Amino acid sequence: MLARLAENLFWAGRYLVRAEDSARMVDVTWHMLLESPSTETSRAWEDLLEVLQQGEGFEQWAGGDDDLMAVRPDDVVRWLVSERSNGGSVLASVGMARENARSVRELLSSEVWEAVNDLHLTLHRRDLPHELGDQPYDLFRTVKLHCQTVMGVALETMPRDEAFRFLLLGRALERAEMTCRLVSVRWEDLLADRAFQLAPTLLRSVGSLEAFRKRHRASANPIDVLQLLVLDRDLPRSVLFQLEAAGAQLARVGRAGRGPEGPSARRLGRAHAALRYRDAAELVELGVEDVLERMQVEVREVTEAIGEEFFTHAPTGALHAVGAVGGEGAS
Amino acid sequence: MVLGMTDLFEGYDRGDFFDEVFAGDGAVRPGYRALVERLRDVTPEDLQRRERVRDGIFHAQGITFTVYGDDEGTERTFPMDLLPRVITADEWDVIERGVVQRVTALNRFLSDLYSGEQTALRDGVVPRWLVTSADDFVRQAAGIEVPHDAHCVVAGVDLVRDQQGTYRVLEDNLRSPSGVSYVLENRLAMMRVLPKAFARHRVRPVDGYGRMLLRALRQVAPPAAGETPRAVVLSPGAYNSAYFEHAFLARQMGIELVEGRDLVVDDQVVYLRSTRGLERVDVIYRRIDDEFLDPVVFRPDSALGVPGLVSAVRAGNVTLANAIGNGVADDKAVYAFVPAMIRHYLNEEPILPNVETYLLWDDEQRRMVLDRLDELVVKPVAESGGYGMLIGPAASDEEVEEFRRRVTADPRGYIAQEVVRLSRHPTLTGERLAGRHVDLRPFAVTGETTEVLPGGLTRVALREGSLVVNSSQGGGSKDTWVLDEDGVPATRNGA
Repeated sequence: MLARLAENLFWAGRYLVRAEDSARMVDVTWHMLLESPSTETSRAWEDLLEVLQQGEGFEQWAGGDDDLMAVRPDDVVRWLVSERSNGGSVLASVGMARENARSVRELLSSEVWEAVNDLHLTLHRRDLPHELGDQPYDLFRTVKLHCQTVMGVALETMPRDEAFRFLLLGRALERAEMTCRLVSVRWEDLLADRAFQLAPTLLRSVGSLEAFRKRHRASANPIDVLQLLVLDRDLPRSVLFQLEAAGAQLARVGRAGRGPEGPSARRLGRAHAALRYRDAAELVELGVEDVLERMQVEVREVTEAIGEEFFTHAPTGALHAVGAVGGEGAS
Repeated sequence: MVLGMTDLFEGYDRGDFFDEVFAGDGAVRPGYRALVERLRDVTPEDLQRRERVRDGIFHAQGITFTVYGDDEGTERTFPMDLLPRVITADEWDVIERGVVQRVTALNRFLSDLYSGEQTALRDGVVPRWLVTSADDFVRQAAGIEVPHDAHCVVAGVDLVRDQQGTYRVLEDNLRSPSGVSYVLENRLAMMRVLPKAFARHRVRPVDGYGRMLLRALRQVAPPAAGETPRAVVLSPGAYNSAYFEHAFLARQMGIELVEGRDLVVDDQVVYLRSTRGLERVDVIYRRIDDEFLDPVVFRPDSALGVPGLVSAVRAGNVTLANAIGNGVADDKAVYAFVPAMIRHYLNEEPILPNVETYLLWDDEQRRMVLDRLDELVVKPVAESGGYGMLIGPAASDEEVEEFRRRVTADPRGYIAQEVVRLSRHPTLTGERLAGRHVDLRPFAVTGETTEVLPGGLTRVALREGSLVVNSSQGGGSKDTWVLDEDGVPATRNGA
């Protein structure tokens, strides 16, 4: 398929995940803080800004310093959800997902396109500032449901062709990176969390609290959280799961299957191997933050390798023949 | 409840025009008998209900075109009138032969001009200065050989019918004629909206257009491309007014729809950037104007084109359809010489006449035209789409004087034509049928030979009295039925 369209599908997948996961995290943080002492408030928002890589942008936009931020959680929410000038807000991510999907309409089933378009139109119809200040539950629920609808419809209506695979590939890598960041940013607090109050919030913010309880019952051990969110092979939110999902798609696109694996598949395979044969205790020994930060770098390198291998093809020779055009003879 | 038998046609006024359905004595013309009979059983309410069904079909599929300079949501549907235009087998035979003859001569002319001996210029068939002064004469196309002389792989020849019912050529449209997607979509919509009326006729199908075009594109590929040359559709992108059609045609042919940035030229060979790497392209059905094709040769600021494309064409490594430089034969002054080209290259008499055209650099013709400006149509030679013209009888004194100044200042820049009293066709307006002016754009496809898609796009000026049928200016369309040879209504169950 056309490289440009493959790239747009890859990014449509990433933006959809970004919108859904941001909405989920803001939702959980917002509701958690209702029953928390105010001293925790600013720390929670700071961490979230870091997980979503939005801290710097927020400070520039809000124009304040750390002290000010403590009293402005509403601004943080607005920045993360509805601020148009923030390219990473939920609103902007949905808009970008739609732009990318629009350019590949011919490759998506029309129901997928309609689902993406619906989400975009819904957000633009609603009074976001009012909902965020008053009762944001329904807004977040709508975003999550719509994002899931898009993927559900895609799963049910699209053939497993390259278009589909690049959409999923973008999702998997975005999610792997996001979970790495989340655990890495919160790890220190998790260790210090003797009453085991933080862990449920963290797990809920990636929709995995119920899975954790089923797997580890009444455990209050941060190691178990680490095991589930990073190393579990069955939980769709874990880093390892997403790396394997990405590998499965990479194995079926481009020239895959015709000769040796391409550079991006090899790079992904190495990243995968760094986690696949470890257990949580070993990660603690190696330093959880170090391991996860290195993993984020590797995932970004995989993304770059994918760009080079599939999206940008430059001719091997020089463009030496251009301009060799005469105009004589016809006058 | 069935209303009066003749309701739809009640008060229908043929006016002082050639009416496509009713002859001068009020009798229904042969091709329309079964249709009119069927319509006598249909109530206005019923037709309006069917119009709503039609609108639903078009909206759901997003069959729209983009209107430039319109602030409202820029996508509109191209309204299709529910009454089809019917062309009998005999009439079609004339049109088909006439279009093939004309396109053949024009292809010969373009080959002669750009890569031949220029016999038409040498023998004075077309004045040399006229050709070289045409805006769309492209010197960079000199010496480029085109397989089978197929400069115009697709031509959309606009025909109008005068007061005597004679089909005349108004324009040849040899660059990137659009509208064929509406021909196919109109047919699909008609078969859903009026299935029974359709079933009573033997209508020649149009859904083979994709195959017809792909076959021609493969035939014009460079010989080195082998058995199954790779063809692509090159579009300026989603913001172009005809993007829907570009995507539609790519889908019909099952080939890739690309933009300039998807292609790259290396060592005079064109490649497509795919997820598998660079893949060679042999034929490009391009819907981009000449001047945007290649920033190296034409406009350096064009981001739509492909640097080096013209050198690849010149090297014979890729074929462009349509070829570069066709616009010279679309020049409205050069148009006046097409009948002479037909005599020169084919040694035949033209089957389809031109509209009477006056050339304004000729002192005598110009004097006559300036005396009669308020009776004539004046057109700039290089425009298309119905823009920038003067329709004398409908113009204000100021407009007439404005054109008098322009023509005097730039006689080569304009031509004048007699007003064609375009034929009219009954068209649904609210509850009644009323006469509206129509034209016809058949599509001719040329590979090794030239074929014409049966029918074509009938455009209708929906505004009362208007002569302008262009979609950008309030025009609509009609499904166009070419009846099969025996032409008589088939008797089928339920018809």
